[in-house]
Amino acid sequence: MSGGHLSKDFFELIKSIGECKSKQEEDKILAAEVATLRQRFTEQLSPKKMKEAVVRMMYAEMLGHNADFGHIHAVNMSQQTNLIAKRVGYLASTVCLHSGHELTTLLVNTMRRDLKSTNHVEVCATLVAIPKLVNLETLPALMDPVCALLDHPSEVVRKKAVMALHRFCQLQPSSAADLSEKLRRVLCDKDPAVMGASLYILHEGAEADPKAHKDLVPSYVSILKQITEHRLPSSFDYHRTPAPWIQIKLLKLMATLGTADQRASEGMYEVLLDVLRRADTGINIGYAIIYEAVRTITAIFPNIQLLETAASHISRFVSSDNHNLKYLGIKALAGIVQVNQKYALEHQLVVVDCLEDPDETLKRKTLDLLYRMTNAGNVVFVVDKLISHLRETSDDAFRASLTERITQLAERYAPDNSWFIRTMNCVFELGGELVRPDVAHNLMRLIAEGSGEDDEADMALRRFAAATYYSMLDRPILPDILVCVICWVLGEYGYLIGGGVAREPET
Amino acid sequence: MGIHFVLLISRQGKVRLTKWYSAMPSKERARAVREVSAVVLSRQQKQCNFLEYKDKKIIYKRYASLYFLACVDEEDNELIVLETIHHFVEVLDRYFGNVCELDLIFNFHKAYHILDELLIAGELQEPSKKAILRVTAAQDALMEGSGDSKVSDSKYEI
Repeated sequence: MSGGHLSKDFFELIKSIGECKSKQEEDKILAAEVATLRQRFTEQLSPKKMKEAVVRMMYAEMLGHNADFGHIHAVNMSQQTNLIAKRVGYLASTVCLHSGHELTTLLVNTMRRDLKSTNHVEVCATLVAIPKLVNLETLPALMDPVCALLDHPSEVVRKKAVMALHRFCQLQPSSAADLSEKLRRVLCDKDPAVMGASLYILHEGAEADPKAHKDLVPSYVSILKQITEHRLPSSFDYHRTPAPWIQIKLLKLMATLGTADQRASEGMYEVLLDVLRRADTGINIGYAIIYEAVRTITAIFPNIQLLETAASHISRFVSSDNHNLKYLGIKALAGIVQVNQKYALEHQLVVVDCLEDPDETLKRKTLDLLYRMTNAGNVVFVVDKLISHLRETSDDAFRASLTERITQLAERYAPDNSWFIRTMNCVFELGGELVRPDVAHNLMRLIAEGSGEDDEADMALRRFAAATYYSMLDRPILPDILVCVICWVLGEYGYLIGGGVAREPET
Repeated sequence: MGIHFVLLISRQGKVRLTKWYSAMPSKERARAVREVSAVVLSRQQKQCNFLEYKDKKIIYKRYASLYFLACVDEEDNELIVLETIHHFVEVLDRYFGNVCELDLIFNFHKAYHILDELLIAGELQEPSKKAILRVTAAQDALMEGSGDSKVSDSKYEI
């Protein structure tokens, strides 16, 4: 099976790549290959040799080597009438080109023609290439021919056409409204895979304009019911679970349409309970569905019975030894505490454990949960944890998120002003350039205006601030934003610190 | 947006297959492959199959000597993506008959075609393994034939 269909030369190339011991060696071999191809493409090649050259170019590009001199040949191959050549051409085009590529527009007329072909394989090859290559410029030319395929006799073609339309929607959100109309018909397609494919666009439509889609809730509920009752062909079972991907898509749709809408949500409660019960099979795919159902339950209009059921599933996830499940449990917990904080209380120990877990992914998700569980009572503890992570990490995206969150929590729940100043100083020091400028302004305004009630306390705070900042002056490096604050405070209130010892104001 | 890219790497970090579903300049792609591979290869066995990468997520699973990775958005259902990967592996296994790394190395274009039946634009297209294998087999049969003249569809059932 392996390699028998390749030319000896190509076989040797792949073999040598497979056997080489380092990236440098691999790069050397591929650089030589690219040079050979560059020469090759200037010669007159037979169709067979051209096909091999294009496949080899695709191979080199896949491994990260640029062979843009050869891209035009991939495009040319897609334009041939020979089916094999066309298919290779389209495949190579999707690997080497992309929607912003200058050669992509050359393919539009070929694609329009191929979409009307009587040969299914041709139509399919085109439909697979389109999502990768289409852009705003070429979209209008392709919209109608693809839409026409929604009525094609082959379900494979219909399905791919629907997926291509989904891509169109993502590129041009304004087309979602008209496409939603067409897709409602596809929702009734007799082939479940085609029906399932329509859910992507319908979801985008529902997110953009939930009101216009509320009338579909009963249909979605009904389809979900049919699926869980095993009324689809068994070929859609995956590990004995009926059409899990479609179930999950429907659950997501219901979450979008049920949010803050009591009537719509009420239509969903029964089927949600059912889905949860049937998905409880003890295997991963079952858990995937449970997780999504729990997410839906916490998103829609609250129902006590459902929430309690969801909470018990979350408990099982969080206490599981399996890290994947623990992770999902923590994530789901973060969702359910938005509805009611009480659900997190019984898991406090587990949560603290996860914070110290060597698994970085788990740790971060737990920090996320903590952030959502923060209130005036536990803010000091939570901010403390967040700051210690800010101190340790070097991941910029993570630092930005922590900085933003600590700032939000401090501004919202600070128990007293001096804690706030100390905390913000930490954030400025550790987060520096990531802190928003208006945060510094808020801090300075707080010091300037004080509480407005107790003049003595306000002066004590200013004295404290001035002394604190004075003691920071001998630090070797300070972020710009902190320097600004220090200068301003010392400029305004430096006169307050005759002796210079920072003392906490009495609270 | 669904899956942004799919990556197959060996335990030594050698790339076996890459499929990109969004437009990313090649320098960025190379960097993403490098960074993501480094993190995944350093993970311990008991840890989650999910990790955060910039503002996205990587879902990965190791099968024998190969790591299968998918990059998705923050709010996607991680467990179903893991199952999507598994679905892909099961189809490959049925198609190649006890698939091994060598099969994928020498038949990367076939792996591409199979992946194209499974995912389009980064979203799952076909939940039925049987359907994927049926379509792929039919296309293979077509390709094995001459393919030289334009063929009418009435002869070919897909």
